[in-house]
Amino acid sequence: MEHKARPLNKKFWTPGVMVMLVFMAAGAVSIIARFTGGIGYVTNLSDARPWGLWVGVDVATGVALAAGGFTTAALAHIFGRHNYESITRPALLTAVLGYTFVVLGLLVDIGRSWAIWKPMFNWNTNSVLFEVAMCVMVYLTVLYIEFFPIVAEQFKDRVNLPGILSVFNNLVDSILKRGDAFVGKIMWIFIILGVVLSCMHQSSLGSLMLVAPTKLHPLWYTPMLPLLFLTSAFAVGYPMVVFETTLATSSFKLDGEMNILTPLTRITVFLLGMYMFLKIGDMIYRGTYIYLLQGTYQTNSFIVEVLFGVMVPWVLLLFKRIRQSRTGIFIAASMIIGGVILNRINVFIVGYKSPLSESGYFPAPGEIFVTLGLIATLMFIYRCVVTCLPVLQAPEEVSS
Amino acid sequence: MIKKIIFFMGVFLFLMPGLSAAEVWKAPDQEKAKERAREVVPFVKEYKDDCLINRRTCLVDAGISIKDVTTVYFVLGSPVIKKREDHYEPVRFAHKRHAALTNDCSVCHHFRPKDENALETTRCSACHQDSFNPDYPERIGLKAAYHQQCMQCHQNQGKGPVDCKGCHLQNVPDHKELVKLPDGADPFQVTAECLRCHDTQADDMLTTAHWLWKGPSPYTTGHRKDIMHGKGTTALNNF
Amino acid sequence: MKLTRRTFFKFMGAAGSTVVGRASSANAWESKAPPDSYGCLVDLSRCVGCRKCEEACSTVNGLPAPERANCQCTIFEKKRRPDDTAYTVVNRYFTGKLDTFDKPLPTFAKVQCMHCQDAACVSACIVGALTKDETGAVHYDVSKCIGCRYCMVACPFEIPAYEYDDPITPRVMKCTFCYDRIKKEGGIPGCVTICPTEALTFGKRETVLKIAHDRLRENPGKYIQHVYGEKEVGGTSWMYISAVPFEKVNLPVLPETPSPKLSETIQHSLFSYLWSPIALFGVLGAVMFTSKKHTDHSNRKGGD
Repeated sequence: MEHKARPLNKKFWTPGVMVMLVFMAAGAVSIIARFTGGIGYVTNLSDARPWGLWVGVDVATGVALAAGGFTTAALAHIFGRHNYESITRPALLTAVLGYTFVVLGLLVDIGRSWAIWKPMFNWNTNSVLFEVAMCVMVYLTVLYIEFFPIVAEQFKDRVNLPGILSVFNNLVDSILKRGDAFVGKIMWIFIILGVVLSCMHQSSLGSLMLVAPTKLHPLWYTPMLPLLFLTSAFAVGYPMVVFETTLATSSFKLDGEMNILTPLTRITVFLLGMYMFLKIGDMIYRGTYIYLLQGTYQTNSFIVEVLFGVMVPWVLLLFKRIRQSRTGIFIAASMIIGGVILNRINVFIVGYKSPLSESGYFPAPGEIFVTLGLIATLMFIYRCVVTCLPVLQAPEEVSS
Repeated sequence: MIKKIIFFMGVFLFLMPGLSAAEVWKAPDQEKAKERAREVVPFVKEYKDDCLINRRTCLVDAGISIKDVTTVYFVLGSPVIKKREDHYEPVRFAHKRHAALTNDCSVCHHFRPKDENALETTRCSACHQDSFNPDYPERIGLKAAYHQQCMQCHQNQGKGPVDCKGCHLQNVPDHKELVKLPDGADPFQVTAECLRCHDTQADDMLTTAHWLWKGPSPYTTGHRKDIMHGKGTTALNNF
Repeated sequence: MKLTRRTFFKFMGAAGSTVVGRASSANAWESKAPPDSYGCLVDLSRCVGCRKCEEACSTVNGLPAPERANCQCTIFEKKRRPDDTAYTVVNRYFTGKLDTFDKPLPTFAKVQCMHCQDAACVSACIVGALTKDETGAVHYDVSKCIGCRYCMVACPFEIPAYEYDDPITPRVMKCTFCYDRIKKEGGIPGCVTICPTEALTFGKRETVLKIAHDRLRENPGKYIQHVYGEKEVGGTSWMYISAVPFEKVNLPVLPETPSPKLSETIQHSLFSYLWSPIALFGVLGAVMFTSKKHTDHSNRKGGD
């Protein structure tokens, strides 16, 4: 059976979209406040607590959850499992949008947003953050190039610019065609490059905290942190695809695609198992299990992260019945995603302790609004894109 | 006529310096102390490393006692200190009084120059001059020597001031330059002008009894019972 | 996906040669501390808490005047940290030590940037806005800064502060070691100049360290036998000696390993000459090539 992605022809303005618009508006107000009153005006950040929700969630979690893009690309294009090609496009779109919003989140978070280009000319190769920044920058470009054929496919031979711009119709059309042909020839480079860059910065995000050995709780601080970040990114890639495919297919009332998702969860069992093995093995090797029952909010957070984010979903996915049930894999995938989100939050926020001052931190409403606003915008644009570009598996107008 | 005017002007010019000199009287001993403070003595490079008991014996053997202390006080305002900073007036150190109280010269005159011809009790600034002299890294500067010596002793003895203003007058800037008031300023303007710089002091004052006191206190009983209000309730210039 | 045999082998060749080149240049982490740099010794037993250093610091660096500069009465009731308006602050601690009259004896402790020999912030800074220069000062160049605040995350002493209220051009604020003054012959940091008891001793780090050890040796029983900052996080330019335990005056217990050592070792062993990404690229290319050949082959067989 030949898969063919098509633009969706569905009603756009649903109540869900309206809710998104409300969050977007709240986020926009908070962003305006941040750029007029300063970071201190909208956040609870302090000298003792320089990184908060925006870094922990918008950046670190955003990058982790966009892992679906490179894991599916690796599976379908590099390891040659072409039957998975139908999920590469939505995963790619998630990655494109995810990384775009990582950059937007960064722009809000860094103090001198206008200076974001400076790392390109001032290199500090000792800095982990430098490497992350470079990788994210290049990877974002790669993602846009990978996405180009989708745009070209939609508009080739039917470029129809409005009004006076219509004189450029032929020009744009030929750019699209030539570009598509050229990109098609060298696409293999970008696909491999995308995977390589992802492996680099997914792991380096973990190395970020290695420079502060006295500030991160020993349950998380380990020289293995980069490897744990990388394996957890591997592990969360397919659950993310399961999660969003299930959401999208039920939201747009499309075919559930269980024939693809079930095999994906089998790979997930292996990847998540590897992550679990490393994480628990590391804990036992370093003897940090002695902290587990201290009962502080940090240790409790670690227990929740490992138990409900890794172990329980792994056990769930061992059962064939669950792997074949739409609800079953959705729940398991959600738990894995929740576990990875919690892991990133733990490493960057919960596990972080300033050595001298009391730095209890809970994000201010302004910070939460910005994060929610960005997520809502991301979902909104996802909906816009799948409505007018060939991303999702189009229904044969019968399956729903 | 013109000659007369010139003559009077001449007399006036001649008298003027005399007049102004007569206006400011200066205490002769204070001038002498200041003069002495301005002296910079040659740096003593080597000192005799006695233990304190030895030192005390030496001083007794040399027959040095309170009777030999002639100067009543010193002004501790050496140029060695002045060239670093000038926040406070130099301390008027009552040398004779301290000598009488301790009755032990070795408390302060803890070492002596190695040169046998030198005075047994040489002055502080002979050994302690500049701070961080790379050739004598552990020899502290004059200002630090004064502060450490005075404050440590005051602390150990439980008497004598250990805060800045206990010994120093503050080098208050000339308020003629700072205060900007129109002629015939009213009380409000005056208070506002003070508050321009002294707002913390004003806040402090508001928490004191001078401001908060609202009626006769036990301490006024029998004296002026008729004062029924504190400044906080009736003052005109209540900013 | 067009992957020709020739381009593929070109890439593999490049990857292979890089791996070989990388292996020969493998080297262990080395300290980047400048030789013959300056240092400063804080003798907590000498500090009398006059806070003149705060005043001098604000004057020299053009910062707002310190809180209650002329009044020591209430300022010590709260514990302060250096912030975006003050590079250095003095705190008072009652550590249980009593004077000769059984009254609790205060210990005053000045806090400022320690100017680590191998500073975590310098290693962390994404653009190299923070550098350890030849004087020993950890120098901040605002023209490079992007405001990511990774330096603040990295600092084990919790020193860099941030102008959170500036929406467009906030700066990281921390002690400069009076870089402009000490790089001149005979220059001394502002706070050191003014200290009335010479609780602060400035000089070459080696000299200052020697003074510290001399004082510990020559005053038996007076000091804790440890120079704080000699070895902490690989050594710092500012060092402390004290008569009371250091953790009681809010100086954190720290390991002797320089903070950046682990992350820099990982980064350099993985990414110098980009050998690992190139190798990974090669391996993935090979996998892609073989899997493609395999599918092409089976397609042809199945299709015909």
